Amino acid sequence: MLLTALILLLVVKLGSSDSQGLATAERWVRNSYAPLQRGVDWVQQGLVQFGIRVLGMQDLSQLLEAEQARNQQLSLENMQLRETQAEVERLRALLDYKNAHNSQFRLEAARIIARAPNNWYKTMTVDKGADYGLTVNMPVITPEGLVGKIVDVSSNTAQVLLITDREMAVGAILQPTRENRGIVEGIGDGRLRMVNIPYYSQVQDGDPVVTSGLSQTYPPGLRIGTIRDVQKEANGLVLSAFVEPVVDFDRLEEVLIIKSFQAPSEPVNEGG
Amino acid sequence: MRSLVLVFLPFLALYLQSTLFRAISIYGVVPDLLLILVIFYAVFSGSNKGAVYGAACGLWEDLYLGRVIGVNAICKGLTGFILGRMQGRVFKDNVLVGVLGVLAGTAINSLLLLSISFLAVPGFSLDRAVWADVMLQGIYNVIISVPLYIWYFRSSGAGVLQEGLIR
Repeated sequence: MLLTALILLLVVKLGSSDSQGLATAERWVRNSYAPLQRGVDWVQQGLVQFGIRVLGMQDLSQLLEAEQARNQQLSLENMQLRETQAEVERLRALLDYKNAHNSQFRLEAARIIARAPNNWYKTMTVDKGADYGLTVNMPVITPEGLVGKIVDVSSNTAQVLLITDREMAVGAILQPTRENRGIVEGIGDGRLRMVNIPYYSQVQDGDPVVTSGLSQTYPPGLRIGTIRDVQKEANGLVLSAFVEPVVDFDRLEEVLIIKSFQAPSEPVNEGG
Repeated sequence: MRSLVLVFLPFLALYLQSTLFRAISIYGVVPDLLLILVIFYAVFSGSNKGAVYGAACGLWEDLYLGRVIGVNAICKGLTGFILGRMQGRVFKDNVLVGVLGVLAGTAINSLLLLSISFLAVPGFSLDRAVWADVMLQGIYNVIISVPLYIWYFRSSGAGVLQEGLIR
């Protein structure tokens, strides 16, 4: 009780308006709160600043998203343009080839729409068929060289047997030596093999191989591939060699079909 | 509904094999979705049905390919018959059943195809490239078979492939 009364007296005493002590006490009390208040204020300010930053970041992130979307759109357009450009270049090459060989071949351009659904046959399906005058055994080419021949035709599609198929054989000639007894066969794994090359042949790696024209199915002079790895057969009478095709069959998208041809006086398509 | 789906699936499989999967082939090798379908059907339905479905799918493929009609019908029919022996002997809820079934089925189908080709096609040689293709296809088939088996299993239990389901 006494202590309480003393404190009250002290407070009343100090509480007089002109008391210097009150100011001191008040300052002391206020000062004691000050760190906490500053802390609260700091937190409040921090929250406000955080809010501003978040809002700002939202704006920035919105901007970023918009820019990313625009970037994606532009990338897509760029990709489409590149695709279109590549297609234009391919079609221009086909057209140039067609114009250059107009006198020798009657050509029909076609787009590849499907490939063999299994791994045993090397075939592809093109988007033109009997309606465009295509028939079985017509040779299929690109400006680079021989692709294969048509083996089946429906009204609006045709199936092309590639020269890499195991059942395919094409009469071929070694361009530098003009030896024309060779036969190029598909071996099923994307490569070709030339067999029946005379043992005395001067064939060597890098020699170009073209169609001989002896089979009546293919016009002479169409490029088939390049000789790689010449080997002597077990009987010692003939040589054989792997042939690397000039056509990249995995990247084919359009082809030309030879509807009819005249035997040219000079081999065609030498040098592409 | 089940019958319609079973008729539609080979059509879809062949379509995907000749287009989409050609674009994502590995070293020129595509998975045999049609064979996977036949294997799953045989495992779930037994030898007799597996043989008939396999032969029908093979015939469909032969007709599409336009080569020697009957080769794939025989091979897939026999594969379906053999794999159908698994029906009733394995727990089909284990995805390993699908994986091992596809591995075995691919081996059987490939051996049958190669045997026929070796006997019937003059000059056909079983070289390293052929075996590499077979092995690569086996691996590709197995990888693809995991999600397909899960789908097939679920569809057979309570989906479009459920027997007796009318929708």
